Amino acid sequence: MSTALALVIIVAVAYLATHVAFDWAARRFLIVSGAEYLLLGILVGPQVSGLVTAHTIDSFAPLTTLALGWVGAIVGTQFRIPELVRIPGVMFRLAFAEALATLGVVGGLLGLALMWLFDLTPALAAVPAIALGGIAAVSAPAGIEVVARHTGARGPIVRQLQVCTAIDALVAIVAVGLLACVQRPPADGGVRPLTPTEWAVVSVALGLVGGALFHLFLGRERNVDRLVISLGGAVILISGAAAYLQLSPLLAAMVFGATLANTSRSRAEIGETLARGERPFYFVLLIFAGIAWQPSAREWAVPVVLFLLTRAVGKIGGARLGARLAGTLPVFGAHWGRALLGQGGLALALAFDYVQQGGSPLSNIVFTAAIASVLLTDLSSAHLVQATVLPLLESEVSPRRVAARFLTPRSREQAAGRPTAGGD
Amino acid sequence: MRRAAILLLLLVAMQFVLPLGGWQASASLLTFGFLILAAYTVGEIATAARLPKVVGYLLAGVLFGPSALDVVGTTSITELAPVSRLAIALIAFLAGAELQWEEVRSRGVVILKIMGAELLLSFLAMLATLWLLRGSVPFLAGYGTAHVTAFAVLFATVAIIHSPAVTMAILSETGARGTVARTTLGVVLLADVAVILLFTVALAFARATVPAPGGEAVSLGILAWEIGGSVVVGAAIGGAVALYLRFVRGELFLFALLVTFLGAEIARLVHVEALLTLLVAGFVSENVGGERGVALRHAMERAAAPVFVVFFALAGASLGITEVIALWPIVVPIALARAFGLWAGTAVGARWAGVTQGEGRYVWLGLVSQAGVAIGLATIVAEAYPELGGQLRTLFLAVMTINQTLGPILFRQALARSGELPGSESESEDTAPALARG
Repeated sequence: MSTALALVIIVAVAYLATHVAFDWAARRFLIVSGAEYLLLGILVGPQVSGLVTAHTIDSFAPLTTLALGWVGAIVGTQFRIPELVRIPGVMFRLAFAEALATLGVVGGLLGLALMWLFDLTPALAAVPAIALGGIAAVSAPAGIEVVARHTGARGPIVRQLQVCTAIDALVAIVAVGLLACVQRPPADGGVRPLTPTEWAVVSVALGLVGGALFHLFLGRERNVDRLVISLGGAVILISGAAAYLQLSPLLAAMVFGATLANTSRSRAEIGETLARGERPFYFVLLIFAGIAWQPSAREWAVPVVLFLLTRAVGKIGGARLGARLAGTLPVFGAHWGRALLGQGGLALALAFDYVQQGGSPLSNIVFTAAIASVLLTDLSSAHLVQATVLPLLESEVSPRRVAARFLTPRSREQAAGRPTAGGD
Repeated sequence: MRRAAILLLLLVAMQFVLPLGGWQASASLLTFGFLILAAYTVGEIATAARLPKVVGYLLAGVLFGPSALDVVGTTSITELAPVSRLAIALIAFLAGAELQWEEVRSRGVVILKIMGAELLLSFLAMLATLWLLRGSVPFLAGYGTAHVTAFAVLFATVAIIHSPAVTMAILSETGARGTVARTTLGVVLLADVAVILLFTVALAFARATVPAPGGEAVSLGILAWEIGGSVVVGAAIGGAVALYLRFVRGELFLFALLVTFLGAEIARLVHVEALLTLLVAGFVSENVGGERGVALRHAMERAAAPVFVVFFALAGASLGITEVIALWPIVVPIALARAFGLWAGTAVGARWAGVTQGEGRYVWLGLVSQAGVAIGLATIVAEAYPELGGQLRTLFLAVMTINQTLGPILFRQALARSGELPGSESESEDTAPALARG
């Protein structure tokens, strides 16, 4: 009994000390972090104090699935078609090039490394390699938002970074979601086992049908407090259905969020409701990640370090390559990809998603790599964005040149301060 | 109507999805999501019918639970029990935070007198009824006086408890803040503590009179620690919360969730009563934390509406309608006797305390509901006496089904009759987290 209480006190003191330290660092060094929650999870988890057992966490699966679905739905609400068509195509080309390059570089190199390190067949090594590639593609928007707010920075570079984070999330969720469809074990009792393509259709259909039905269910509901309840129920239903079918809750929930964003009259309130839960769910994921983390029985240091290095290469190189192909290298410079190195809740959610897929190979290594990347980059993401954005804002690049490359005629009018027809 | 039609469509869609998968834990999630939407819909229908939302949530649980349509099966309810426990822990913390030291000091004697009288008279009414019905009660029929006395005392002790969750939910929904509302909340919370104390004594008495098959001897030291330790640990957690509020302050909602989660885990580790621990923690943090404690309470109140939906929908799914039907000849008299005890006890207590006529007349209506702690106590009896305790638990759940269904309606009626429902009906319907205004 005294041991348990002592552990509780140690955990509480360690948590408070870390929180105070990070709070000080956040104010002084512009750090965006929830690392103390991850540390709290590790401290209370079975690896350190054992206050919370792995079994306890299993029993809170509804909360983790809700958190996964919530994160997926938030990503989905960014894809509102009327808003997407107003963004210049070059921004999408650049974002897709950077995301796919990162996925390819990390997936390819890690695939080779895992084959060599663990003596795996190419088919088996491809599964964790693609998952790691998907996780690597993700970039956290928090640092970009902090810098935009802090410095008042606007303009093409900030917009490009925002488009990149959305496309990175899309590419990553689709990659990990399709991986779940491919490696899903055959179902019992069906007329015939469904093919991976059919499971992919089922994943998307879950989100589409769920989104359509929920749109009808909500009607004109605009009360945020009521939306929390019904949205929570719908997200658990959709992500629970996906998890039950051993598919990706993130993919189904992302399609669900996108469907709602494009159909519901209450999209603003839905966005507000989802945004209200973003930080708490991020921290919940961090805590659960800390509790669920266990050091791999196999050698994990090499693949994790390799993941961090190849990700940096993929992000910076991919962004540079994309800018070269799109002809925007003079505008953004060679190192603008540094601003996309930060990782946060979505990377953890993807790792959780991968771990929850039954029998995923090297799941501990994938999970450890995601945690290490979040811990390392979350601390410095705002700094990296600031280091990238500020020189561009102060550079000699002519605003007219930037506008000519990136802005639609409507945006150009807005940039010039002329009124445009209709609202945003 | 539209929402009910969509629910039906969702139900049909689920029938297509369920044969394709096979992971039971996620099947529970699927049905849980459906249950939340169903509870939300039936809650809105209940509001339209001028009933408390809580009744709608419970009815949704009954309708889609194992007693009726079996969409949410027994396995799912068992798997979702930790979520339910977390919800009740959050409610306990919030209930404790609702108690103001000033109020305890100024009205403590009144609350104690009403509570003492109503607990005593309802306990005696239960004992008398069980004694009269002993030939028909499964765990009393055919046994000697000592056995009947021991089990009747155990049952009566469990059956006199109230439901802080229902009280909090109705006060949250209506925003009522008058004398009847505050006195009811005070009596419910203090009675919880008193009944847990009484229960430990009653269980020790029962074990001394009727030895449990293969059961361990009860140490009074352990029982004392369960109660006293709850207060100590709860006060320590409350103090830690107050320190957090003073030095850190951020992420209050998440912090509240963590406190309840870790508080329940700590209680489990140190073998103390989890609900009492969190009740005390809530009380201490609110009253020591000052204005920041109020901020924490408001953060929790904002999160209370979804928690109530989850808790009551699952509680509804656990209600034993089939048991009520099978045992109705003894269930109805027991429920009526309890109600009579509450009415008489509250009237006597109010007169003894010399308070307003309204409190004497209406507070008992807020004490009818039962849930949460009562189920926990009945389960402890079932674990101590696997066969007879199981029968006691079944009978208690049947009585609780009636009390839990009628209780919220009666409490809302009491608040309406005493003129404590703020504003018009339409206003109160539209303010789920109305407590935040208080």
